[in-house]
Amino acid sequence: MSILIQILLNSLETGGIYALAALGIILIFRTSNTTNYAQGTISMFNAFVATFILINTGLPAWLVAIFGAISAFVVGVLVDRIVISKAIKVNPVAKQIITLGLIMIFLGAAPMIFGTDPLQFPRFVYGSHKIAEATISYNAIVNIIVGIVIMLVLFYLLQKSKWGLSVRATASNDIVARMMGIPTPLITMGSWAIAAALGTLSALMLAPTTSVNLTMMDGVQLLALLSCVLGGFQTFYGPVIAAYIIGMASNLISFYISSIWSDSILYLLILAVILFKPNGLFGKKIVKKV
Amino acid sequence: MEKRQKQPIAKMKKGNPIRNYILFGIVLLLLPILVEIGIVQYSHITIFASILIYAIVSLGLNLLVGYSGLVSLGTAGFMGLGTYLAAYFTADLKLPFEISLIISVAIPMIIGVITGLISLRIEGYYLAIATLAISEILRKVFVELDFVTNGFSGKSANYPKLLGFFQLDRNLTYVLVVIFLVLIMIITHNFVNSYTGRALSTMRGSEAAAQAMGINIYRYRLLAFAVAVGFAALGGVLYMHFIKYTYPNTWTLAFSLNILAVIIIGGVRSIPGTIVGSFIVFGVPDLILKKLPVIGQIDGMAYIFNGVLIIVIILFYPMGLVHLWSDVKRKLMTKKRKGE
Amino acid sequence: MALNSNEINGIDTMGKDTILKIEDLSIAFGGLKAVDSLSFDIKEKEIFGLIGPNGAGKTTVFNCITQFYKPDRGTVIFRNNKNEVENLVGKKPHEIIKKGLVRTFQNVELIKELSVVDNVLVGCHIEFEASIISQILKLPKARKEEAKYREKAEEVLKHMGLYNIKDHLVAGQPYGVLKRIELARTLMCEPKLIILDEPAAGLNDTETIALIEMVREIKDKFNCSILLVEHDMRFVTDLCDRICAISFGKLLAIGTPQEIQANEQVQAAYLGKGDE
Repeated sequence: MSILIQILLNSLETGGIYALAALGIILIFRTSNTTNYAQGTISMFNAFVATFILINTGLPAWLVAIFGAISAFVVGVLVDRIVISKAIKVNPVAKQIITLGLIMIFLGAAPMIFGTDPLQFPRFVYGSHKIAEATISYNAIVNIIVGIVIMLVLFYLLQKSKWGLSVRATASNDIVARMMGIPTPLITMGSWAIAAALGTLSALMLAPTTSVNLTMMDGVQLLALLSCVLGGFQTFYGPVIAAYIIGMASNLISFYISSIWSDSILYLLILAVILFKPNGLFGKKIVKKV
Repeated sequence: MEKRQKQPIAKMKKGNPIRNYILFGIVLLLLPILVEIGIVQYSHITIFASILIYAIVSLGLNLLVGYSGLVSLGTAGFMGLGTYLAAYFTADLKLPFEISLIISVAIPMIIGVITGLISLRIEGYYLAIATLAISEILRKVFVELDFVTNGFSGKSANYPKLLGFFQLDRNLTYVLVVIFLVLIMIITHNFVNSYTGRALSTMRGSEAAAQAMGINIYRYRLLAFAVAVGFAALGGVLYMHFIKYTYPNTWTLAFSLNILAVIIIGGVRSIPGTIVGSFIVFGVPDLILKKLPVIGQIDGMAYIFNGVLIIVIILFYPMGLVHLWSDVKRKLMTKKRKGE
Repeated sequence: MALNSNEINGIDTMGKDTILKIEDLSIAFGGLKAVDSLSFDIKEKEIFGLIGPNGAGKTTVFNCITQFYKPDRGTVIFRNNKNEVENLVGKKPHEIIKKGLVRTFQNVELIKELSVVDNVLVGCHIEFEASIISQILKLPKARKEEAKYREKAEEVLKHMGLYNIKDHLVAGQPYGVLKRIELARTLMCEPKLIILDEPAAGLNDTETIALIEMVREIKDKFNCSILLVEHDMRFVTDLCDRICAISFGKLLAIGTPQEIQANEQVQAAYLGKGDE
């Protein structure tokens, strides 16, 4: 029983990390019509920024995380203004390749600015509590709650706010949306900014266990993409739910089968699922017009 | 005086490309001689051989990206698998080079086809994600199956022994690499000019037209991907027998991105462009950037250089740098004409 | 004429001189019925027109016949090039051409980076047999095959008056030429039925008149039937043997051009639109 509680809490924490990253990817996919492979690398870069601020100022971790999110927001805006907004007429494959080029730039820039050594990022809060022999760190609770609250707020805004309506309109048909007076370039820019901020928060939640280093987000990036595959690219909620499912599966496999091979098994399992559900668990088939 | 053509002509009759590829190969073969004379540094053979091996791998990816509009992020994994298999078969099992070569290319292709079978049924971008996952699994295998791969210590092999008795040295292995490159260039040329190549172009241009003309998109995508994996694995085998050492951290996503950079920078759907791209991506950092004062010492310079080039080229010069020369020439010609 | 919608076994009831028989064809997109219980048939060597106001579902009918869309209900019975009668519903889009049914597209679907002759050669893709090994090594088999079909393509291009631009790229050709190249492409596989989606759209008057002649010639020379969708009423009445008028996916009338022009329902559907 205590093991199950432990696994459940771990799953909520890792699932939340994947879900934040996945939500960023799907926001960009729906508004810019491209899979952003650089989501993880941009997050990694901004995690370095946050850690750099922390080391040089000694501010508390939560405040630094907010600075990290702000810097990510700025980076997202810059990436959109300098690169993505110039690529509106570029075909979808080339657009994907552009995001791959972004990976190389941030991967090259990070060690240049912050050095090659991994940095340590502290937990937001220390201490832990025992419930029926399951140890729950307060930090995990904070991560779980912060993750869920951020996502609930975003989903509420997507459904209820003017911004959300604009995003959904842009996602369903950006040409019509533009004709209706929605500032689609602004919406796209916002998506890149918010996605970068979400990714950076997920990176900083992960950081205490991995250290801040160049490859810290590689696994999260892939699992976030696979969350979109598993949840389907057509909805905003699908990838988020899938991310939690993946977080759960990951912890179960690590515990019951093998912790070394857990990621590999998970990747294969997800590929096996799309063999039977090609459009994902929550996706629907799209009829292409000819 | 040549007249300005109103319509662009598809086929420029500019000599026989296959002859040009063979000539290119012969020029490359001069390198070991230049080293012997002392004009070129000994270490430059390694840089050149690597560039040529990466060019083979890139030609495969160029077929996939250029002709079927699909991206694979598994190049590193499949090439890495090629290196480990080649080392295992020749160094551990003592199999002849030729047999090892065939199996070491076949196994990655089988894995590739299975990956393709699953992911290609859906949207194009699923292949990129699936291959990224497979590549990560393969890298995990390189690290964890240490009784075969030696884990992080890496694995070694020797220069190839042909037909069981003819032991090659470094220079002759370089010759072998050149021969393979020329062969692959010819094969690629024939492939894109065959009805299969035409089918791939059609598919890329219009899926609807392709289907209406009886082209099974799924099958042709799978074929293009299988060829890309095959070339990557072949590159892996050659790498193993020339560099003689393989190590898990070589085969990361960053490597796959470099191969992608080769084709974007050099020229999508261009065989000479791929070669040019390979020299720029893998040659410029080693031969030029590292020699520059100050910035040459900075880690990550090569990545930034390639990343920026990818984006700049996609946005402003999508056909790739291979066309730079003829474009500049045309510009100069028209300027001259205006000046007259 | 109205058939019982339960009668799905059209294979037995198909006449000897009928090449395509559509029965009870229906498809809906998100509750909107794009095609609603549509039935008609096309005879051998007939030029058959499908007309209707904008958004009547004409192209959707084409897409259902060629299996780009899967119809919700109904059958598409076709007498294939082996003279066998079969239902096309459920076949893959790329299998359709092998039966002897080939189509063009409303927004010309040609490959810009290929030459005119290469584009036309794609039309007989299904005829090629050389193995992949034979192709990459340019073995005699692959060479001969390529030469044979290239000759055939040039033949077709000559016929269409496009021979002099055969090595030009498709990109940058005028619209009328593009339409003709696409038509040439359909002739490469010796089809029994050619489906033309708005062949006259974007053509000027002279080009339209030339097209009418060309379609007739094609029908006689290649011995095939033609099904076409068109807005241009005059084009359709000049060219077609029979016409089927639809509106909102439903059948209005089938008959000769004169009958259709006289039909009150058809007039009502077109009212206010003029005769374009």
